[in-house]
Amino acid sequence: MRLSAWLPLAVLSALALCGAATRPRYGGTLRVEMRDAQPDAGPLRSLVFETLVRLDATGAPQPWLALSWQHDAAAKRWQFSLRPGIKLHDGSALTSAAVAASLQAALPDLTIAATADGITIRASRPLPDLPLDLAHNGWLDTGPFRLTAFDPGHHATFAANEDYWGGRPFLDAIDVQLGRGLRDQLADLELGRADVVEIGPADLRRAADHGRAVWSSAAVSLVALAFAPGHPNDPRLREALALSIDRAAMHNVLLQKQGEVTAALLPQWISGYAFAFPTALDLPRARALANALPPAARTLTLAYDPGMRAARALAERIAVNAHDAGLTVQVSPQNPNADARLVEGRLASFEPERALAGLAAGLGMQAPTAAQSPAALYESERKLLEDFRAIPLFQLPMLYGAASRVRVYAPPAVTRLGDWRFDNIWLPGTAP
Amino acid sequence: MTFRTRLLIAFALTVIVAVAFVGGIVSTTTRRAFERLDEERVSALAAQFHQEFLRRQREIAQQVEDIAESESTRDMIIALSRPDADPSSYVDAAQAPATAHNLKFLELVSASGSIVSSAQWPARFLYQEDWVAARGDWNSQEPFLKREELPTDTALALVSVRVASVGDNKLYVVGGEELDRDFLSSFVLPAGMRALLFREPQSIVGASGPLPQPAPLAPLIDALRKQRHEVTQTIRWSADAADAETFHAIPLIGPGKDQNHDLMGGFLVGSSRAAQVRLERFMIRVEILVAVGGVVLALLMAFWTTARITRPVEALAAGARAVAAGDWHTQVDVHTGGEIGALAAAFNQMTRDLLEQRDRLVQAERVAAWRELARRLAHELKNPLFPLQITVENLQRARAAHPEEFDEVFRESTATLLAELGKLRGIVGRFSDFAKMPQPQLETVDLNGLVRESLKLFEAQMQAAGVVLRLDLAADLRAIQADRGQLGRALQNLVLNAIDAMPAGGTLAIRTAAHEDGVRLEVSDTGQGLTQEEYDRLFTPYFTTKTHGTGLGLAIVQSVISDHGGKIGVRSEPGRGTAFVIDLA
Repeated sequence: MRLSAWLPLAVLSALALCGAATRPRYGGTLRVEMRDAQPDAGPLRSLVFETLVRLDATGAPQPWLALSWQHDAAAKRWQFSLRPGIKLHDGSALTSAAVAASLQAALPDLTIAATADGITIRASRPLPDLPLDLAHNGWLDTGPFRLTAFDPGHHATFAANEDYWGGRPFLDAIDVQLGRGLRDQLADLELGRADVVEIGPADLRRAADHGRAVWSSAAVSLVALAFAPGHPNDPRLREALALSIDRAAMHNVLLQKQGEVTAALLPQWISGYAFAFPTALDLPRARALANALPPAARTLTLAYDPGMRAARALAERIAVNAHDAGLTVQVSPQNPNADARLVEGRLASFEPERALAGLAAGLGMQAPTAAQSPAALYESERKLLEDFRAIPLFQLPMLYGAASRVRVYAPPAVTRLGDWRFDNIWLPGTAP
Repeated sequence: MTFRTRLLIAFALTVIVAVAFVGGIVSTTTRRAFERLDEERVSALAAQFHQEFLRRQREIAQQVEDIAESESTRDMIIALSRPDADPSSYVDAAQAPATAHNLKFLELVSASGSIVSSAQWPARFLYQEDWVAARGDWNSQEPFLKREELPTDTALALVSVRVASVGDNKLYVVGGEELDRDFLSSFVLPAGMRALLFREPQSIVGASGPLPQPAPLAPLIDALRKQRHEVTQTIRWSADAADAETFHAIPLIGPGKDQNHDLMGGFLVGSSRAAQVRLERFMIRVEILVAVGGVVLALLMAFWTTARITRPVEALAAGARAVAAGDWHTQVDVHTGGEIGALAAAFNQMTRDLLEQRDRLVQAERVAAWRELARRLAHELKNPLFPLQITVENLQRARAAHPEEFDEVFRESTATLLAELGKLRGIVGRFSDFAKMPQPQLETVDLNGLVRESLKLFEAQMQAAGVVLRLDLAADLRAIQADRGQLGRALQNLVLNAIDAMPAGGTLAIRTAAHEDGVRLEVSDTGQGLTQEEYDRLFTPYFTTKTHGTGLGLAIVQSVISDHGGKIGVRSEPGRGTAFVIDLA
């Protein structure tokens, strides 16, 4: 055979090999580790449960269990038509009644009724962003994976939903180890004992340097200082502390510039007004406020959760900043009697008002007043923060490191809101 | 105080003073020896501190220099000098070299003075350390003391700064060690000594940790702050002197914030005084023991010695007391030579002479008494005898010359004879009564009542003599045990004597009073008083100045009072009267 006859064959063979390497395969178990020991509403939920609507990468609502929807001019009456042929994990067909019941439980202020091919939602006020709400309410166990074993606080196992309406996921199973520290997760990833782990901002560079894929959500996690009710009583102390914190230095160094610096509860990309809350430190004013306090009132204790990302470094840096203002901040992990806590809270919704209410509840603050407009929402958030009972610091994304063997058929594997789309993941070396 | 007691005290004091003197000299010498030893030990430890400090300076300088010259530091300088440099990548860069070189403090500071990485306080990244960038000759500087702020406190550090350079780009390496318990543990301390580290503003640590009660060291620290050179003071930790320590403080001076020399702390070398105090106390105990033993021994010896000296003296004193009590037969039994022996012999001779003289005197008095008695008897008997003789002669003459009148004369004469014989019998009877003075028959007697009864007998006589009675009888006078008759007769004799002493009238004063030993009776007159001879012979029997008396009155009074266990005394002033004072139990 002549060389010219062999050459096309060789090229075709090479192309076939390349195609074999990129074509997804079915099978395999994905090993996942996470810090949260009680993931009642975390990303695990998105493996098993689904909603009528799902948000795309830009945050726009897209049909999911609902095929389409329409509303009246006042946006008070909405009608959703359901996708046919969907089965619940128990094998029964998804009905309009089941959807209506699930949504009614989640949204009791609305009137929800089942129709022949869908549901009808009525409200006493206009609901222009109702689809955003439905992206996070009315969870139904129709997801790509079924929970097969759960050892609270330690372990959860999910198996592929063979009857999944979107097609069987590539993976046979997902094994999730719960309550695993960040350092251990990173070590397991590097030692090949885990496929997907959470990583902290400080480890981002290390993970990238080692060739790991890094998945990131939008800035959906608020890091803030929250003062316990009654600790401390003097607002000048809280304000002095807020003004002494050098967020930029912490963001640049400790958080490796991940997420964004903030003094607002809602991230800029949701509210659009977060920039109006000043983040710059004002050391002279902080010192003046601190000096106005009696010496005994210039001390406070700050607790942090050791499992939280960069928590200790952030807390210690806050103490250093406070020291510059003339305050003494004693840092200790998990002190139940501490005056303030460094906390991290995830957004529960992309709908601003609901998101603000969720964050306020997570920080132990009173519920924000109802807001019909961005200006009213801003005012509501400003009032929440005016007594410095909570000091927002950063909006951080959820960061995951993935082993090199993990392939993503249709990115992203982690949504903008941080939900897992692991039905898109496949593992090479398993049966096609 | 007896002579023996004085001698004993003198002996004891002599011993105590001698022991105290010797003890004082020994204590002083020992204390000085201890102080010299202390000074030597403290000097040795201070020298050890200086050597150790120099050694650590060299060691730290070398370690910091090693880090500054390491490849990783050079790589970091190069990376940070790039336009897209990200200092945040090196936020933990100081940890590894700090651990590798065993440095507690290590900071990597950029050329602009911004902390790139801090091993001791990682949270201080990007903070400005302007003092580092302010000078460029660090590589020629020795390590120095610096107050290093930590998250929870401030440490005293021995710090070295070196400048690592790659081309025009440089990085400051600031490394050091803390002067802490580990530093103190490196010293070899003799027993009874310890080293402490004082760190401004007020932290004091020892090799085993923070000093629990640093307050007593405050004066030493103050002195160190003021003087800024080595200071030595004795610190008392409690009321017990054994707890005291002599501290030698060496100031630790650093450059300070504005390069002025600043007191950073002090190295305190403490030397316990416990051993010295224990030895001093032991010596004091020994001194006391020796003193007590010496005193006891001295007392025993003094007792023996003074006994030898004072026993003859005491015998002489006892003999003198016996003589004073009337025992003139007393002889002291002293067999010793010298002055005491001569004195005893003289005493014995004296008592013998006194006895002989008394015997002679008694003999003479007895003769005189007999003479007086004879004189009185002759005087008393002579008066009746003369009428008897005249009467008998009248009878004889009447028989011869006038026989017809003889019967008449005979009756008159016999009557006269009988009268005179009666007088003679009376005189003999009084003498007989005095000779036969009976023992008093004691009964309870109210002295005031007895006085009043006795005075009734003399009312007419006093009135006739112009004597005024003045009675001063104590109302609370207790009854006494006495022979009513004898005491009444004695009182009557005194009253009669007083009336006789005031022939021209006067005042008879009788006073009774109680005193702690009994009762007192005082009978006084305002007569002419007594002459010295009368005073001397007042109670001598048969002595009288009166023409009609027997001279037995006052002798009887004295005899009665003496038989009652009482005493009688006389006060007399010529021209102003006489007072008899009787004390009865």
